[in-house]
Amino acid sequence: MMDDFFFSLLLAGISVGAVYALIALGLNLTFWTTKTMNFGQGSLMMLCAMLTVFLSSQGLAMALAVIGSLLVVAAFGVFIERWTVRPALQASGGSMGWVVSTLGFGIFLQGVAAKYFGSQAVAFPDVVFTAQDFVTVFGQYVSLQYLVVLAVAVALILALELFVRKTVWGQAVHAVSLDPELALVQGIPVRLLVLGSFMLSSALAGVAGVLIAQIGGTVDPAFGFDLVLLGFVAAVLGGMGSSMGALAGGLLVGILSKLVGGYVSTAAEHGIAFALLMLALALRPQGLFGRPEVSKA
Amino acid sequence: MLELQGLTVRYGAVQALEGVSLQAGAGGITAILGANGAGKSSLMRAVSGIAPVTAGRILLDGQDITALPAAERARLGIAHAMEGRRLFRQLTVEDNLKLAWSFGARTAPLAASLAETYARFPILKEKARIAAGLLSGGQQQMVILSCTTIRSPRCLLLDEPSLGLAPIIVQQIYAFITDYAARSGIIVVIAEQMAALALRVSSHGLVLRRGRAVLQGSSAELLHGHDGKTLAASYL
Repeated sequence: MMDDFFFSLLLAGISVGAVYALIALGLNLTFWTTKTMNFGQGSLMMLCAMLTVFLSSQGLAMALAVIGSLLVVAAFGVFIERWTVRPALQASGGSMGWVVSTLGFGIFLQGVAAKYFGSQAVAFPDVVFTAQDFVTVFGQYVSLQYLVVLAVAVALILALELFVRKTVWGQAVHAVSLDPELALVQGIPVRLLVLGSFMLSSALAGVAGVLIAQIGGTVDPAFGFDLVLLGFVAAVLGGMGSSMGALAGGLLVGILSKLVGGYVSTAAEHGIAFALLMLALALRPQGLFGRPEVSKA
Repeated sequence: MLELQGLTVRYGAVQALEGVSLQAGAGGITAILGANGAGKSSLMRAVSGIAPVTAGRILLDGQDITALPAAERARLGIAHAMEGRRLFRQLTVEDNLKLAWSFGARTAPLAASLAETYARFPILKEKARIAAGLLSGGQQQMVILSCTTIRSPRCLLLDEPSLGLAPIIVQQIYAFITDYAARSGIIVVIAEQMAALALRVSSHGLVLRRGRAVLQGSSAELLHGHDGKTLAASYL
């Protein structure tokens, strides 16, 4: 019986961990090109889920509703780069303004959503499987929704890892993160890559939003905010910029917080993630898969 | 032919370059000389498109490129080895070369271009899989030079290629540059603090002082000129 409990916690941990990994991946993407992160990602998760609910309630097929919402959210990525990140990076006397401006834009989106969709939680429709669909693994019921989340996260992470390691464009993205000016004089279309990274990052947030709204069954304007914090912990734990690190960090945070939540107290669920973050920063600041700076004068 | 007409570069309140004109022909080396802060790097950066040009024009083979963004100029064939030994330190030597080739003119296939580079600098083949930031200064300079030549450029800008290197390495680097300039017949512009060195290999020289062109002429004349003092004086 104890084992069943442990197993179900583990499974829930892996599933939410996969979502944290997706969020971490989204944060990594913009970190690659600009060394910035969109802390308003949580609102994009919410927006994408809300839009999906809205569009499907208008009679649109589920797949179309999701794709349409993802496109809208990706367009928001362009807006965020142009109006919250770029001005902050160009402002003189400090380059950390983007932390506040991206977060601020997220809060703004949250407010707009509360005004037009209402601040009540709305039921989220089933995208691929319903909450009643399950398979049996080792005598345990495993929700198919959990498995979809995990499969999507792993597939996206593998795809990005392959893109970065094996294609010249992936190398170019890496180059932009290392030295944007040098990338520019080498003919790499830096602006295009930066915009692309923000679009893709926002779309990833949208995917994570739809996936987790499906598991929770509801979505409200405040949805996503604390998830981004945990995604950030996952990204730092795994090593900023590393896709494999995002996956490992996400799973670690997810599993640990669920286990602590199950055996100790649900109140400690989120706290433990930040304790882990502090520990990691003290012991291994470059993260599990991060590489320390290479340099020689 | 690279032509600058009354080029002015301004960073906020700081005037880095003022009304500088220059004609750098293909098939020879043009030397840009001057003390620290004279505007050599600003001139180079203006040509490759990463310095703010507030007045004047830049023409490459007659085409006005003053308004073109940097990445587009790179695609037109301008290759710039920036000052301060700039390369992607975390990437391996080979990845640096591959990247430079990928976004260059690609006139020769990658394998052939790499083979040619390694034949010229065998040490780079040995270090191909090592992060470029871990190489010695001279080896890094070889990577940087190779990254520009592997792009098959039309116009090569080299900013202080000798800076901080041992004399023997400087000789090797300069031997490569002169040989490459003669072989390729492209436009080569070198900014140097070591005037005598640059004037020996160049055909034409421009001396900058506080952002203004103070002397211009054939390198032989600048080096051995009727009054040997002119060049030295412009440094003061």
